[in-house]
Amino acid sequence: MKGNVVKYAQDNIDTDVIIPGQYLKVHDYAELATHAMEGLDPDFHSKVKEGDFILSGKNFGCGSSREHAPIALSHSGIKAVLALSFARIFYRNAVDGAFLLPIEIEQDAYDGISEGDEIEIKLSVNEIKNITKNQTYKMKPFSEIIGKIISAGGLFKYKPDQD
Amino acid sequence: MGKTLFEKIWESHVVVEKSNSPSLIYIDRHLVHEVTSPQAFDGLRMNNRKVRRPDLTIATMDHNVPTNDRSLPILDQTSAIQIQALEKNCKDFGITLFDISSPNQGIVHVIGPQLGITLPGSTIVCGDSHTSTHGAFGALALGIGTSDVEHVLASQTMWLEKPIPFEIRVEGKRKNPHAVTAKDIILSIIKNIGTGGGTGTVIEYRGEGIEDLSMEQRMTICNMSIEAGARAGLIAPDEKTFEYLRGRKYTPKNYESLVDTWKDHLKTDDDATFEKEFTLHIDDIAPQVSWGTNPGMTCDVTESIPSPDDFSKGDLNQKKGAQKALDYMDLKPGTPIEEIKIDRVFIGSCTNARLEDLIEASKVVKGQKISSTVRAMVVPGSQMVKKQAEEMGLDKIFTDANFEWRESGCSMCLGMNPDILSPGERCASTSNRNFEGRQGTGGRTHLVSPVMAAAAAIAGHFVDVRKMDLN
Repeated sequence: MKGNVVKYAQDNIDTDVIIPGQYLKVHDYAELATHAMEGLDPDFHSKVKEGDFILSGKNFGCGSSREHAPIALSHSGIKAVLALSFARIFYRNAVDGAFLLPIEIEQDAYDGISEGDEIEIKLSVNEIKNITKNQTYKMKPFSEIIGKIISAGGLFKYKPDQD
Repeated sequence: MGKTLFEKIWESHVVVEKSNSPSLIYIDRHLVHEVTSPQAFDGLRMNNRKVRRPDLTIATMDHNVPTNDRSLPILDQTSAIQIQALEKNCKDFGITLFDISSPNQGIVHVIGPQLGITLPGSTIVCGDSHTSTHGAFGALALGIGTSDVEHVLASQTMWLEKPIPFEIRVEGKRKNPHAVTAKDIILSIIKNIGTGGGTGTVIEYRGEGIEDLSMEQRMTICNMSIEAGARAGLIAPDEKTFEYLRGRKYTPKNYESLVDTWKDHLKTDDDATFEKEFTLHIDDIAPQVSWGTNPGMTCDVTESIPSPDDFSKGDLNQKKGAQKALDYMDLKPGTPIEEIKIDRVFIGSCTNARLEDLIEASKVVKGQKISSTVRAMVVPGSQMVKKQAEEMGLDKIFTDANFEWRESGCSMCLGMNPDILSPGERCASTSNRNFEGRQGTGGRTHLVSPVMAAAAAIAGHFVDVRKMDLN
C-alpha cells in the first residue's frame, strides 16, 4: 500500500470533527465523504486522494460510537489511519467493516513523517517506509484475529470456524 | 485469587474463549435507536437473517427527534426518514418500539433504567457510546458501532477483547453535596486521568464517595466513563440499586430471588486485584467548568483559564491542543471562569436530564428570571421524567424564569435536531462532550452540572453555586 500523508499533528481527534452530528442522517456514503473532517479541516475533501493516509497523535477517534466516522474517511479514499493510539470504538468500527486500517505507530514515525510525504505500508513485515525521506519505522503488529478479520474483508466475511 | 465484579460478569457471559483471542460474549439486552441502526437492519435483510432475540431487543427514537410540539409534522425530511425507517424495521422484525408518541419515549439511557430493562450483572449493548450509563446498576454496558449492532441483532453475541479492570476510588465526603455534584466528581476524574486515561479498561467506581450517591447520580458518573476512553464503567449494586428497580415495567417477576443471588455475588472480592488504580479525594473539590474542547480540559469554577504551558506540563501536543482549544473557544489565559459570559444554557442529555437533575436545578431557578442576554432550555431525559417533573410543578418554575420547557430527546447534546448553537454562541451545558462543533458548527460548549448551568442562566455568567443556599 502506497500513498501520501495528510498529517494532523494533534491528539484527541474526535468523531464529531471527523463527521459532525448533523450528517449522521446521510445514508449515501459518497455524500457522507464530502463532509469528512469538516469540523477540523474544511479543505480535506478537496485535497485528499484515493489511497492517501491520515497521520495523527494519541486517542484518534475518541467520542461517539458512530460508524459513520470510519465510513466517511474510507469513502474519501483514506486506506489507513496511522496514530500513536486509537479510541477503542473507532478502532473496532474501522476493523469490523474493513473500512480502513487503524495502524498504531511509535513516536519516530509520528515525528518523522510530514504532511505530503509518500509512504509505503508493508503489513507483512510490520514496517512503514517513508519513500520521500528514505526512512523506515516499525508499526505495531495487528493481533492475530484482527489481522484475519481485515484479510477477510470485515466481520461478516470472517468465518471463525475455518481456523 | 478473588475476582473483580467485571470479571464475574465477563465469565458468566463468555460463549467461546480462546487464548490470545477475543471472546464471544452473550448479550442480555440490546437497546436500539434510529441513527445507528438503519444499515444494520438493511444488512439483515440482504442476508435473509432474522433478529435472533426480538424479546431482548428494545427500541426508541431519541437522537434526532424534535423537542418542540410533537403534534406537528417533522420538518427535517432526513430525520423523518430515519424515524420512519426505525418504525418499519421494528415492525418487520418484531421489536418493541417506544415511538415519538409513546409515554415511554426518551433518551435510550434514561428509559432503560426507568423501565427496569437495565439489570445488575447483565450485559447490555447499544449503538451509542454513552451506553456506559447502565453500568451504574452493576451491568457490563458497552457502546458499539453499526456493524456490531447487526452482529448482535443476528446472533445476540459479540466478540470482544477482554478489557483491563481499572479501579477508581472516590474517597471522602463533599461538604455541600447540592453544589458539588456527581458531574463535578466525574469531570474531576477525567481532568486528572485524561481523555485517554481509561482506554481499553472497564472502570469500577468504588469508595465512600460513590456509595453515598443516589442511583441517578451514579448514572451520571458511569455515563462519562467513555469520555475517559474506557470501554465501560460500573458500580457494584447495593440496596439503593435493588430498591430503584423494584416494580418497574420490565422488572422480572422473580426479582426478589434474583436480588438474593446478586447480593452475594455481584461485588469485587476482597482479594481481587485491579491492573490500574486511581483515587480521587472529594472533601474539597469545587464545581467544575470545562474551558476547552475535550472533557479533560476542565478546571474549578474558582480558577482562571490556564495558559497552554501550564496545562500541558511540557507535552508538546497537549500544548498545541490547548492553544487550538483557546482559539476555538475565544478565551484568553488568566480570565477568571466566573467572568465568562454565556449566551445559551442547555439542561438535558443522558448525562444530566433525570428527575433529580431537574429538581436540583429548579432550586436555583425558583423565583428568579434568567438573564436577558441568555436563551435557556430544559429538555427532560424522557417523557416519564417530564411527566414526573410536571406533577411536581417544576415546569412552571422553569417557564416562569423564562426557560423553554421541551419534549424529551438528545437535543442540543449533539446537534442532530433543530436545537443547535449558532456559530460563536457560548453555552453552559449539562451534556457530556465539548468537542468542536458538537452542539452546532462554531458553537462553544462549557460542560457543567445542572445547578451550575441553572445559576449561569440567571447570572449570565458562571458563578460558584457553593455561595448559594441549595438545601
